Amino acid sequence: MGTYIFVLSIQPVFFFPAYQEKHLVLLRDGRTLIGFLRSIDQFANLVLHQTVERIHVGKKYGDIPRGIFVVRGENVVLLGEIDLEKESDTPLQQVSIEEILEEQRVEQQTKLEAEKLKVQALKDRGLSIPRADTLDEY
Amino acid sequence: MKCLEGLHLHQRPGKFCGDLMPKEEEEKDQVAKEDLDPDLGPDPDEEENDLGHPSVLDATHYTQVPWQERSLFSSPGVKTPGVLGMSPASLHFPWQPTFPSTSAPPQHFELQQPLLDPALLCNPLTSWPSRLSHLTQLHPQHRRILQKQQQQQQQQQQTPSPLAKKTWFQQLDPYANLMTRKEKDWVIKVQMVQLQSENPHLNDYYYQKYYQKLEKKADEELLGQKNRVQSPKLVTPYIQKAETYESVVRIEGSLGQVAVSTCFSPRRAIDAVSHGTQEQDPAAVSSQKLWVLCRIEKMFLQLLEIEEGQKDGIPQSCYSEQQNNQVEKLFQALKTEEKNKLEEAADSFLQVLSVKKGKTLVARLLPFLLPDQAVSLLLVITHHLPLLVRRDVTDQALHMLFKPLGKCISHLTFHELLQGLQGLMLLPPGSSERPVSVVLQNQFGISLLYALLSHGEQLVSLDSSLKEPNRDHTAWTDMVVLIAWEIARMPTAALAEPLDFPNNLLPLFCHHLDKQLVQQLEARSN
Repeated sequence: MGTYIFVLSIQPVFFFPAYQEKHLVLLRDGRTLIGFLRSIDQFANLVLHQTVERIHVGKKYGDIPRGIFVVRGENVVLLGEIDLEKESDTPLQQVSIEEILEEQRVEQQTKLEAEKLKVQALKDRGLSIPRADTLDEY
Repeated sequence: MKCLEGLHLHQRPGKFCGDLMPKEEEEKDQVAKEDLDPDLGPDPDEEENDLGHPSVLDATHYTQVPWQERSLFSSPGVKTPGVLGMSPASLHFPWQPTFPSTSAPPQHFELQQPLLDPALLCNPLTSWPSRLSHLTQLHPQHRRILQKQQQQQQQQQQTPSPLAKKTWFQQLDPYANLMTRKEKDWVIKVQMVQLQSENPHLNDYYYQKYYQKLEKKADEELLGQKNRVQSPKLVTPYIQKAETYESVVRIEGSLGQVAVSTCFSPRRAIDAVSHGTQEQDPAAVSSQKLWVLCRIEKMFLQLLEIEEGQKDGIPQSCYSEQQNNQVEKLFQALKTEEKNKLEEAADSFLQVLSVKKGKTLVARLLPFLLPDQAVSLLLVITHHLPLLVRRDVTDQALHMLFKPLGKCISHLTFHELLQGLQGLMLLPPGSSERPVSVVLQNQFGISLLYALLSHGEQLVSLDSSLKEPNRDHTAWTDMVVLIAWEIARMPTAALAEPLDFPNNLLPLFCHHLDKQLVQQLEARSN
């Protein structure tokens, strides 16, 4: 089923115009990578060139340049072409890397605290939900 | 990674035009020449201090420049001075590259003229549909959309607009076509082969439904422009079914599934729809309820098959032969007419109706049934309405039957209607309360009752022969009076709110009743 979603939502042939289009990849751990797709195989292993990892927190985002990525296909959630005309047309605000990392840290913190409270509340009621590490949780 | 990246751009402005050298080698060169600490990998945290060279520091400083400006990514902000043929030396970087004195690695490559030209860009696109048509299993609407997009892109390329999103150095992208056309086609072929299936409506439901929707929209738009041309529907060619295997081996009396897994299909943990053959007779099953539930499940599977067999979600009057058979089989299963006693048959039907899923089953089956089949079901329901109402207290699901039943009420003859309703009027032995009072307190019951009365009134008004004072007519009149009396008798709070209040009911009551009663009824209906 994962294969269906991957191919059909994206019109595979138009991955490969002679001019390169920017692509956006969403990984299972929640990371968003933006780069030029140079190579792909039947498992959806990807080679991304001049990749940038984009971190989104709220309405802000920050880009971390990463270089070349080789992504194992099983970790790809989805992959799509970025419409370059519409790319600048976003309500999101770009900030510096430090700022976005800070924002992300704060967000993670609040999430952890909320989670802790929840776990405590459940424990008080005699329930325990085991942490599902194998799920794609992010 | 960041600092090394900066290094590259810093020293190799010509990188973007025709540089075919693999990046790894560049990095190696860099590292070797600069005598960097080998442990210094692409570490974004360790920046300026570790590289130690002033111009390298500049490079890292330059990397702080917003990413868009410095990379191959096109950005509307960057000036795109021209087209192909521009000298690579005057690339529009926002900074002037300065070469570090110590480590200018020998330029292994020449600054080449771009080899790509627009004609070449067009070619792969135009030949795509013909080449891959035998491999792809795209929905016709999908194909049409892709072709339209192709045409648009071709038009764009032929008339380069000044706001062309493709900046000139994109066209010079040295890494374009890193994968050859053959390789790309191969990957696409492999992926498409996996999509082939005998039953795309089942396996690829969302894709099919989405493109059907788009097709409908497109057809609607065209409706005004030309005579409705039926867009070619998807006709899936027969595909050799891939070898399937039974992953679930059922052992008698076992609780779970014993599953076999191969490298092509991993172990199936859960069966959403159980495909195993379960032969169970009613005697063997410990609980009667379980047997009923089992029956419902089997019948539901049959119903789903029938529903899938027709398109567009609307039951059509012209069924295929196969569909007719399926419907007939299902109806037989529902009514269990093999049983000799009619009572037993009705009883099993009522058992099905006592379960919520059974109600949905009947509700969804009714549109498919022949009129007389539907009428027979309706009569059984009407006859046993109090019982059904009582059993529905927990589920509250009878209302889903109202609409399909309402449709088949119009097929009732007067005589059948009368018989059905009279059953409700009979005083059961040992009780002063008529069954109809229970019915009136339930929403579905009262709605059905009103619908039946309305139909009766319609029949009477249309057919003058019924107006003559004969047995049927007097029976009808008596019954109407009785029902009206019961309604009036019931406290307003207990009276349920009907789902639909037919227009001709009040006139019906006016016809047959005295003023006082009518006034009371009017008050009730508001």
